[in-house]
Amino acid sequence: MQGHRVSMGKITGFLEIERHERKYEPVAERLKNFNEFVIPLSEKDTRDQAARCMNCGIPYCHGTGSTAPGTPGCPVNNQIPDFNDLVYQGNWEEASRNLHSTNNFPEFTGRICPAPCEASCTLNIDDNPVTIKTIECAIVDRAWDNGWLKPEIAAAKTGKKVAVIGSGPAGMAAAQQLARAGHEVHVYEKFAKAGGLLRYGIPDFKMEKGIIDRRVAQMEAEGVTFHYGKAVGGSTPGAIDPQELAKQYDAVALTGGAEAPRDLPIPGRDLAGIHFAMDFLPQQNRRVSGEPLNGTADILAGGKHVVVIGGGDTGSDCIGTSFRQGAKSVTQLEIMPAPPEHENKGVTWPNWPLKMRTSSSQAEGAVREYAVLTTKFEGKDGKVTKLHCVKVDDKFKPLPGTEFTLDAELVLLAMGFVHPVHEGLLKTLGVELDQRGNVRASLQDYQTSRVKIFSAGDMRRGQSLVVWAIREGRQCARSIDSFLMGKTDLPG
Amino acid sequence: MKDRLPGALDDYEIVKRYIKSIGKGLLKVMSKMGISTYQSYCGAQIFDAVGLKADFVAKYFAGTHTRIEGVGLGEIAEETVRRHTDAFGDGQIYKSALDVGGEYAYRTRGEDHAWTAESVSTLQHAVRGNSLERYRAFAKILNEQSERLLTLRGLFRIKSAEDDKRKPVRLEDVEPAKDIVKRFATGAMSFGSISREAHTTLAIAMNRIGGKSNTGEGGEESDRFKPLPNGDSMRSAIKQVASGRFGVTTEYLVNSDMMQIKMAQGAKPGEGGQLPGHKVDATIARVRHSTPGVGLISPPPHHDIYSIEDLAQLIYDLKNVNPDGQVSVKLVSEVGVGTVAAGVAKARADHVTIAGFEGGTGASPLTSIKHAGSPWEIGLAETHQTLVRQRLRSRIAVQVDGGFRTGRDVVIGALLGADEFGFATAPLIAAGCIMMRKCHLNTCPVGVATQDPVLRKRFTGQPEHVINYFFFVAEEVREIMAQLGYKSFDEMIGQVQMLDQTALVSHWKAKGLDFSKLFVRQKEEKGQTIYHSETQNHHLEAVLDRRLIEQAQAALDRGAPVKIEEEINNTNRSAGAMLSGAVAKIYGHAGLPLDTIHVGLKGTAGQAFGAWLAKGVTFELEGEGNDYVGKGLSGGCIIVKPPKISGIVPEESIIVGNTVMYGAIAGECYFRGIAGERFAVRNSGAVAVVEGAGDHCCEYMTGGIVVVLGKTGRNFAAGMSGGIAYVLDEAGDFSKLCNLSMVELEPVLSEEMINADTYHHSGDLEAHGRVDVFQNLLDSDVERLHVLITRHAKLTGSKKAAEILADWKSWLPKFRKVMPVEYRRALKEMKANADAEPKIAIGA
Repeated sequence: MQGHRVSMGKITGFLEIERHERKYEPVAERLKNFNEFVIPLSEKDTRDQAARCMNCGIPYCHGTGSTAPGTPGCPVNNQIPDFNDLVYQGNWEEASRNLHSTNNFPEFTGRICPAPCEASCTLNIDDNPVTIKTIECAIVDRAWDNGWLKPEIAAAKTGKKVAVIGSGPAGMAAAQQLARAGHEVHVYEKFAKAGGLLRYGIPDFKMEKGIIDRRVAQMEAEGVTFHYGKAVGGSTPGAIDPQELAKQYDAVALTGGAEAPRDLPIPGRDLAGIHFAMDFLPQQNRRVSGEPLNGTADILAGGKHVVVIGGGDTGSDCIGTSFRQGAKSVTQLEIMPAPPEHENKGVTWPNWPLKMRTSSSQAEGAVREYAVLTTKFEGKDGKVTKLHCVKVDDKFKPLPGTEFTLDAELVLLAMGFVHPVHEGLLKTLGVELDQRGNVRASLQDYQTSRVKIFSAGDMRRGQSLVVWAIREGRQCARSIDSFLMGKTDLPG
Repeated sequence: MKDRLPGALDDYEIVKRYIKSIGKGLLKVMSKMGISTYQSYCGAQIFDAVGLKADFVAKYFAGTHTRIEGVGLGEIAEETVRRHTDAFGDGQIYKSALDVGGEYAYRTRGEDHAWTAESVSTLQHAVRGNSLERYRAFAKILNEQSERLLTLRGLFRIKSAEDDKRKPVRLEDVEPAKDIVKRFATGAMSFGSISREAHTTLAIAMNRIGGKSNTGEGGEESDRFKPLPNGDSMRSAIKQVASGRFGVTTEYLVNSDMMQIKMAQGAKPGEGGQLPGHKVDATIARVRHSTPGVGLISPPPHHDIYSIEDLAQLIYDLKNVNPDGQVSVKLVSEVGVGTVAAGVAKARADHVTIAGFEGGTGASPLTSIKHAGSPWEIGLAETHQTLVRQRLRSRIAVQVDGGFRTGRDVVIGALLGADEFGFATAPLIAAGCIMMRKCHLNTCPVGVATQDPVLRKRFTGQPEHVINYFFFVAEEVREIMAQLGYKSFDEMIGQVQMLDQTALVSHWKAKGLDFSKLFVRQKEEKGQTIYHSETQNHHLEAVLDRRLIEQAQAALDRGAPVKIEEEINNTNRSAGAMLSGAVAKIYGHAGLPLDTIHVGLKGTAGQAFGAWLAKGVTFELEGEGNDYVGKGLSGGCIIVKPPKISGIVPEESIIVGNTVMYGAIAGECYFRGIAGERFAVRNSGAVAVVEGAGDHCCEYMTGGIVVVLGKTGRNFAAGMSGGIAYVLDEAGDFSKLCNLSMVELEPVLSEEMINADTYHHSGDLEAHGRVDVFQNLLDSDVERLHVLITRHAKLTGSKKAAEILADWKSWLPKFRKVMPVEYRRALKEMKANADAEPKIAIGA
């Protein structure tokens, strides 16, 4: 039984203790390898930071329970004040239990989440939010280190079989929840290892892949069977027929990614040296882990001027990877105007504000240009050498006289993803799509237009955060459990 | 579970502790309701059932009222089984944790709340950006509650104009928003509970739009009574008069448009306001006429109201002090409130408030936040129906409050019979409150509910934000009025046939609800209106004070001393109140120099003689007082002595009635004779000498000096947190009569001092020829007592006083000094900090 105290945290902690974030290794050091470079706080510092939590009457950090886009706070509704108090009290094991009651994989979010919780923290009204992400990460890392995280094997099996297609964070969360509810779960993954974007998109320097492996091991012990190198749908050799799969299982969860990248169809696009980010990043992750590249040509930034088009997180991952490969320079272009340095809290907080943020990769030496439209790629011998660019106004209209060129031997397109790939799996199953080209399924039941076929994560939502994928995976599992059993004890 | 409890406990100990905790909870509820004995708790019927089926209640809680039906045994069983399954089943999240609850702090898996991250932020963004669109998004969140089931009105459906055989009207034909906002008031949140910044922001906003802000109980700094150079005013239109009477001075009352008697608080009926000691800084203490650092607790009841006649008397008192102001009585929603409201209307209040259980201060004890109070929908419906039935409705304005947030709430309130509307939490949120629920800790991070200067700097609210909010609400009201076909607001009031039960309720526990008792359209008599349209006759034309004011004109105009001689009899109630109001209007709380207006009176005074008597006014009565002499005394001097020809023995006879000097702030009283029960209750600064007193003397006192030259009753000094008292303990039994839970008894003079012959007074208290009896309250007792008894002897001709003075040395050891423990601590701290002690000089 979890103890409940009327007053939590240190009542005046926020007035007495300054915010301290985890520090990074110096740039020169961290660029030498692909290892994580975030230095954890000491136990005392972490507990002090947790003491700053005020246990607000409305904990804005904790989220609203809604899954709708734009909802403030934590997408998985982590019970942040509760675990902050437990950490402040030094009760790490209970904190881990509490944290895992809402989030299957806090070690992922503790590393790579942009932390909407901290944007929503009451103390962020004065730009001093509680270091929630740091605390989350400390809790779960400590739990792994101490062996507190054991497989949670269902007491009874239901005899129902569920296929989960795609092993990204949505699929993993759904699979783990379903296995714990006693279902026989099979995860189909087209690549060699589980994790989806976590494995192949996010560089090791942001999250080392052993972190995924130990979760996969836990899930396997809980009864989840992973089928690697098994594409479902499409024409690749050995691909599984989705219709067959649907027949074999009592329910199917479509938890693939939003993999169709946004392209830049301008003159010179077919020159060599222009690649999608998701052609570039997975190669490096495979190199780090020793996984074969399957005959694809190396894309490497070493010794090159690199231009990254797109100012989001994927763009940042390209920057950090390029620097570690030895790029001469990295320039990042963003079509949107530079956001304000400080948001107007009065009309933004507790929502996620548009403001100038500098990622750790950008801080490694990238040049950032805003309000820039690339009009043409120029090349020599079929290889890209230059970009022709122009500044634009806030309606993206070019401003005459602002044209300029940039030297580049490698151009990486990181302009986001439009929707999941339609060919193959989705077309074969014939599930309805929404206006944006994502799989249509509601936030209430995650059911697609086809009976017993469900969908969650980027494939349903469109490109989004890992933490949203986890939430959707959990809710999808709940809906499937309810569909199969007529009731469910799984939390949403 | 046992192994996870702290410490090694055996079964017996676990059960013992469980019983102890339940017992404590029960005691808390009993004391909250003013129940002193277990016997009177049993069968007391202090609860109303909300949402229980009548036949279920009849069987298991016979005699309890239930108005809206609801669940029966089946649903209760179902719910119990579900809870048990959660606790002992295989549910993932309950394996190692109990349900999070989320009652007091929001949790997504817990109880739903109206104020959430989404609703708070949407409202704040709307008012700060002046965005009607964002307001609509906010109103939508709160109005569309058919699935969330947060309020009774969330389950109501507003019918269409056509259902009532009328037609919608054009929006431009509907009464303008600027008139509708005049019906709005902000809630009674005291300066003390919220910061000066937050309190004045609300006041300025309401004054700009012609609505009303409410002081709450706790006074108001007098600099706020003067308009600002830019024309704004920080003066709260409504001055609350609560049981604690903190800061209720004559000046405070005359600077109001409405005086509100708070009978109870919707969010915590049965309990008074409470301000923890760490929020009582020097400023708050000054305004409340109390001591910095000492917590303030308002007593549950008004000690001058034990019956509807007493309430009528208080209404009359207030009306006399400030004849231009209206008097409001705040009641709480409960079954039977209609009858009370009818009594209030007959007692000639101008205004009655029906407060519901939603909202309420974040500083409320946890036991008061939930399951205390009742929805306003129930109380308002009953009030309106009763007033219409009694043909009283048009004579009194009906205000409703408790969780008003949107225009739809206002319309439903109007249809159920309200003229006016109180909003507390919503405008406070518009001004920056984010529902931290840290009000009691003084750590509010947005500077709203804190007195900490550092945190107060974080306050960013502007009057415009509050104004935007109220206009958004009014516009929403207008839109609904247009749909319903009402051009004027008055037309809409009481048209309860426009309400129906929503058909959408699908929740398994909500199916049994039946609101038909609330939706009864009480038919009015011909020629009656069912909204506020008449004024009350207060019978103030011929009061004694009119003659006194006439004769005191020279003093009022130019401060010239006047002497007035008048006869008085017991139909002259509240004598001195209107005169004092006139003084305070011109001269404020400082009043006139001592004894400027000396009124000699002969006869038997009516109730509330010398109520709110202002400084500079002396009432010397040869005869006798009634109940409530010197109520709210604000610096005046009252002398009551028997007629010279009287044959009674003064020191053995009652000279003034019950509840004398209740809520006195400053001034002096000398009574040659014995006072009744509850003498000097809630005295916060006046000085009194009396020759005996009844039970409960000095209860809840926070300041001042009381000298009793004779026997007292029981329960002396209960809840006394400030001031001092000297009691002549001739029988030696005073320690048995005194309630020692908050005070200690000290000798006035020790044996050694007598032997050392230092008992004569030393002149320590003397300065500039006047004696300040408030100097050095920790000490100088002998001198202080001598000064006061001498003055009593001189002013009343007391034989007892003369006897004592004549043999001072032998009487002195019989006096006991009553010293509140907290007060002594605070005085010592102040002395150490070289802070000024409260100073009030009395005439030598």
